[in-house]
Amino acid sequence: MDLFFQTLLNGLLQSGIYALVASGLALAVGVVGIVNFAHGEFLMIGAFLAWGLSTYLGVDPLLSLPLAAASVFAVGALTYRVSIRHVLLAPELNQMLLTFGLGILLQNLALMLLGGNTRTVTTTYQGSSISLGELSVGGPKLIAFGFAVAILAGLYAVLYRTTLGRQMRAVAQNRRGSQLIGINVDRVYLIAFGVSCGLAAVAGVLVAVLLFASPTVGLVFALKAFAIIVMAGLGNLTGVLWASVVLGVSEALVQTYVPGGGGWSDAVFFLLIFATLVFRSFRGAR
Amino acid sequence: MKKMLLTGVLLALSSAGAVKVGVLLPLSGASSVSGQAARNGYLLALDEINKAGGVLGKPLELEFADDGSSPAKAVPEFVKLVTVDRVDFMAGGVSSATSIAISGPAKQYNTFMAWIGAAAVPVEDAFADHRYFFHYHPWSYYNFEAILGYFNTLKTQKKARNIAIAYEDGPFGSAGIGDTVAAFKKAGFNVVMTEKFKTGSGNFGPLISKAKAARPDIFYWVGYDTDALPLATEIKQQNLQVGLVYGTPPSWPVGFEKNQLADNIAGLSLWLPSSPQAESRKFVAAYRKKFGNVTEEYFAPLAYVNLKTLAAAINQAGGTDKDKVAAALAGTNTPTPFGPLTFSKSNKTQYQGFKAGNWLHFQFQGEGRVPVYPIKFAQKPMVWNK
Repeated sequence: MDLFFQTLLNGLLQSGIYALVASGLALAVGVVGIVNFAHGEFLMIGAFLAWGLSTYLGVDPLLSLPLAAASVFAVGALTYRVSIRHVLLAPELNQMLLTFGLGILLQNLALMLLGGNTRTVTTTYQGSSISLGELSVGGPKLIAFGFAVAILAGLYAVLYRTTLGRQMRAVAQNRRGSQLIGINVDRVYLIAFGVSCGLAAVAGVLVAVLLFASPTVGLVFALKAFAIIVMAGLGNLTGVLWASVVLGVSEALVQTYVPGGGGWSDAVFFLLIFATLVFRSFRGAR
Repeated sequence: MKKMLLTGVLLALSSAGAVKVGVLLPLSGASSVSGQAARNGYLLALDEINKAGGVLGKPLELEFADDGSSPAKAVPEFVKLVTVDRVDFMAGGVSSATSIAISGPAKQYNTFMAWIGAAAVPVEDAFADHRYFFHYHPWSYYNFEAILGYFNTLKTQKKARNIAIAYEDGPFGSAGIGDTVAAFKKAGFNVVMTEKFKTGSGNFGPLISKAKAARPDIFYWVGYDTDALPLATEIKQQNLQVGLVYGTPPSWPVGFEKNQLADNIAGLSLWLPSSPQAESRKFVAAYRKKFGNVTEEYFAPLAYVNLKTLAAAINQAGGTDKDKVAAALAGTNTPTPFGPLTFSKSNKTQYQGFKAGNWLHFQFQGEGRVPVYPIKFAQKPMVWNK
């Protein structure tokens, strides 16, 4: 029975990282209306920032979080200004090609500047855990889960309790209408895209603590984030946490109870996307 | 102006007809630590070869290509080196998956392969009928022979009986897993867990929970460097009580030894900078002079030995005729940082370099890798955590 509860706990903790990555992506999709295939690469920048600050300046990765978030927000805002805004009214295929190309560009820049080596950071709390009887809760994953819940709650509060949030929701619903009532749509998009990238960087810092930093580290998480926002419904921030929990726990159950499950766990998110789309089309048909 | 022109013409003439060796390495992706280490080894060897007069009286040329640790990228890079860059010989190769992928074009173009990595048996199968395939790295069954020898000692000395196995689901981890389990059982061990994982996923929580429930004496994992820290973290967080954690990645992450989570994790290596052989000491000194530091990755000296022996064989053959170079390389008998190198038959291929007896077992202790077995090479006693 301990194994079952530990499995649930493992899945729940893993979902924290997934939710962190997916929340930023959900914001870009929900507000700006663009599917950002470079989201994993913004995560990678955050991971490398944490590694660099830790290795060369001895800054604890958790202390580097605000700097990583702010600097990647700036990179994201610049990216929006230079490239994204020019394709917002273009066909979706063009938008996807642009962000896909951005991802390749950022990944290869990282390869050129930093090489392909796997980099790890060392902290005193990496191996820390809290024991609950026979069960064990990993410290960094608990921190990641806490961040995910706090960030999603904060995002929700911003969207529903502030003027900027109301503007974001208005722009997400009707771009033209928002312009007509005097909302600076371009500014709202810039902030939303920047925040989305900043959130990816926050996830990247925690990924550097939990795993490693490398030019390709973002890919695995970006794919899972896509599965999560499809499950949650495009742009549905509140659904992101639940969808992340479903994905994390499903993967953990498959890994533990399906023979050879470790090799199948990466198929889980494909299956969940498939099941969600079939369910949605079935519900739509009724 | 005339002088510059003359120099240019002389340089052009000197490189015309130079021997070109294509080097296909994972400079990025999952195997990049090994690939980068190997690149340094090749560059060091190139320096020494060219300082000593080059090959066939001309400077040797290397053409590096990055296979990205991906079979899909390896094939076009390999074909480009052979057909566009028209290299005379191919060297390099780390990952088994990429080596299998290029076996088709290698046979199609009848390419001369002086190959440093790729330990999986399917690679041996793929190149079994290729007459110009020289394999330097031990095949996985040689690796396993060395590991089994060490574990048998632990069975006697530490009463280690139960082994939990975790392996990556690519060719490197999964190709010989059935034979591995059978061999452990035949040797009298209980294999209490056999689980596969996706390399680079970092999601090891459920796997370690299962291992914990299985109560092993030894946790044995086969994967890549990207898996080392996430596994070590999860083992510590879930407090997996195990005598020894033993991993066999081709390389370890940069800086892993400085992380306290690495303490007492064991592995095997063909070489460590502390290896006492004279050739090893010479290599370490030359490496430090060129790069300003010392690597612990054995792919650096392996690549160094690979290019030096290939260049010597070409010089001995007196040309680039593949049959003559193959005959010269097959007759290699030279001291290396790993001990003497000769080529002999493996189970399926004609020219196999290093074998089981070349492996060392080490443990991360303090901030470095300390040899702990075979006993004659041990510098400190092994730490058993049970």
